[in-house]
Amino acid sequence: MNWLLLAGALSALSAIPAAAQKAAVPPPYAGVYQPQGVDEIGWWRQDDEDERTLAASPLVIRDEKLTGYIRNVLCATVGTGRCASARVYVIREPVFNASMSPNGTLRVFSGLLLRMRNEAELGAVLGHEFGHFERRHSLNLFRTQRSGTDLLAWSGLLASMAPSYNVIRVYRDLQWSVYGHLFRYGRDQEREADALGVGYLNQSSLPPQAAAAMWQNLMAELEASAKARGLRKPNFKTVAFTASHPPEGERAATLAGLALPDGSGRDNRAAQYRAALAPWLPLLLEDQIKLNDFGGSDYLIQNLAADGWTADLWFARAELYRTRGNQRDFANAIQFYGNAISLSGALPAAYRGLGLALTKTGRLIEGQAALQKYLQLSPDASDAKMISMMVPGAMRNE
Amino acid sequence: MNRINAGVMLLALLAMAFQAPLAHAHNLRKKGETVTVADSTLSVTPGRDWNRLSGKAGKNVETWTLDGGQLNDLTFFGGIVPGKPLVKERHKKKAPLPKFRKVTLLVELPELLEGTYRTYKNIGTFRLISTNPIKFLGQDGVTFTYEYTDQDQITRKGEATAAIVAGKLYMVSFDAPRLHYFERTIADVRALVATATL
Repeated sequence: MNWLLLAGALSALSAIPAAAQKAAVPPPYAGVYQPQGVDEIGWWRQDDEDERTLAASPLVIRDEKLTGYIRNVLCATVGTGRCASARVYVIREPVFNASMSPNGTLRVFSGLLLRMRNEAELGAVLGHEFGHFERRHSLNLFRTQRSGTDLLAWSGLLASMAPSYNVIRVYRDLQWSVYGHLFRYGRDQEREADALGVGYLNQSSLPPQAAAAMWQNLMAELEASAKARGLRKPNFKTVAFTASHPPEGERAATLAGLALPDGSGRDNRAAQYRAALAPWLPLLLEDQIKLNDFGGSDYLIQNLAADGWTADLWFARAELYRTRGNQRDFANAIQFYGNAISLSGALPAAYRGLGLALTKTGRLIEGQAALQKYLQLSPDASDAKMISMMVPGAMRNE
Repeated sequence: MNRINAGVMLLALLAMAFQAPLAHAHNLRKKGETVTVADSTLSVTPGRDWNRLSGKAGKNVETWTLDGGQLNDLTFFGGIVPGKPLVKERHKKKAPLPKFRKVTLLVELPELLEGTYRTYKNIGTFRLISTNPIKFLGQDGVTFTYEYTDQDQITRKGEATAAIVAGKLYMVSFDAPRLHYFERTIADVRALVATATL
């Protein structure tokens, strides 16, 4: 389940053996499946319990349209016969992550949606997860998973003995019912899931090359993030999806090699993806830029803007720069807010940020004018009283 | 997770558990006794008994509670200097937190706390509810309320009051589960915040 890659893996992408075997057509799906044997039945029971917790979690984004759309992408990837066995939950957490558990619970994290650029890339991730599900990889790991449960019990006890902030956090990290269990699939299983994932895409109307492209994009983001933090190489452990799996060069090459070459001409449905995500994009961007990951966020924004800058993207970039807070960042932020405002006059928060950035660079009069405009556009803003103290005469104008 | 790694994790947890002395004293903060907090000159006079937790989230940070940090968390930030984050970073380079800066405006303090929470807890569900001016420590300050859902699935409500005095940030925040615990104690917290002096 881990889309984790190495920097070195990328160079391997260009050197794929021409005669690499293309992914086989997936086997026919058996239909409604019921767990067999004591291990699988027990595992599913636990999984059903987790799903109940998940379904009631305040972290789940309850938007039928969005969930339905992701479901449709899954169906377009793996086929309508197969996708009936999956139930999609979108979890609001700004990380690159997705998982599918044995009983058909498909967890999609909001950070994944921000990073995908078209339906084909989303399909590649969902298809890979579906591959693990279809081959019941987690069942093979059930025994080791049981030792993980023992660990959870122990860590709960120990955490309660050591009242430090961090230990409690570690314990919380082990509460998987909502986030999904930590599967550490073996190489062979990953290889199989990769082959199935690309196999689904080969058979679908989406271009299978998206799997490698998506991978490349994630790598570039992690590198941009590490570079901005002054690190020599990305820290894969900070990415939930990649933390449990060592990077493998072999894998990237395999993925690209599995794709049908004549599938590259297919429509990746980028426009449809953008349209479906449009209502959620401001929120997803906000969640990302407030993570204090300057390099990664800036890379993501610019990547999203490859097809044209929008007011939302300029605004997110401006906020990112303003909140980093170096003097040079304010100058950039002012420019970006200006770009956002010129594209859309209905962004009160852009005037707020512009006003604050101008104020902090000593341009008080212009700053006050921008803040005044913010108060006019958004008189009931949660910080209106605070802002109006920075604008002489603002109260009189209300 | 394979067996070896489970073993390593268990060992790490054991190490953590025994590193921290089990008999770490939580101190009682008695009603009506004025005390300085967060290794600073910030002093408060509690209107009821509180427990001071021994764990520290940062250099000039101190946490009090009634029923445990997860049910009511009253945290004092006593003079955060420019260039420093609110709480100690897990890793300066790999997991940096937003910094308080010389140019940080009062109205940006809610964003600073929001960014710190979001980054530290890696959450997306944080919402600022209100931001209002207030007098704190005899200065113009800001008080703001917020709500977030932590990884333990409990939605918490928070209220913080802050001011910048002589270039340093002083702040008192109170976080508690939205259900019951926040409303139960917030009046006591507001009364305590009103007694704060430098």
